Amino acid sequence: MTTTSSADQLFIKVLAQGSLLIGLIATVGSVVGYFVDSEKGVPSALIGASLALVFTSLTLASVLIGRRLSLAGFFGAVMGGWLVKLIGFAFVVGFLARAEFINGPVLFFTLVAAILGSLAIDTIAVLSARIPVVEG
Amino acid sequence: MDITNIAELSGNIAVVGYGLAAIGPGIGVGLVVSKTIEATARQPELASKLQVTMWLGIAFTEALALIGLATPFIFA
Repeated sequence: MTTTSSADQLFIKVLAQGSLLIGLIATVGSVVGYFVDSEKGVPSALIGASLALVFTSLTLASVLIGRRLSLAGFFGAVMGGWLVKLIGFAFVVGFLARAEFINGPVLFFTLVAAILGSLAIDTIAVLSARIPVVEG
Repeated sequence: MDITNIAELSGNIAVVGYGLAAIGPGIGVGLVVSKTIEATARQPELASKLQVTMWLGIAFTEALALIGLATPFIFA
């Protein structure tokens, strides 16, 4: 039987809460985006929120996977995840910056709101978490 | 007087921006992870606590990179 540690439970809780918050930000961003630019606003807000969700979740996933490996594996998983994420993000931004169906400011501000919101969720979760020093 | 170019650069200055947005957080994340590994090697029983704190450090550091890389959407 496998048991889930407190840290794993925290990471899964943060993933769920972060996804909910980013969904909420995507909804609000879509409404605001619709009023700013009825044609391009909604897809821009949805893409911005999705980017934030994917990239904040990938960090969590890399730590979750790395925890199960040796120290060297942990380093490889976290730093490798960071490298792949940054290269992927640069390519996606490079593609979207030239795309016709994007309203830049709507996408940018939705992305920033989603990232800041997810950081707030992370901080609250860590501050309220009870991680025992030794887990048996 | 003739003006002679001895060196010429061409390209987009935004590429330099991409580099700057990546290098700072890259160093930051590397430091956070390496210190966590160092601390885990010293006190393996604290691994869970250290990894949670590390992950929060990474989240804050990489937020800067993501925002920096997304600036072409408003400055382009």
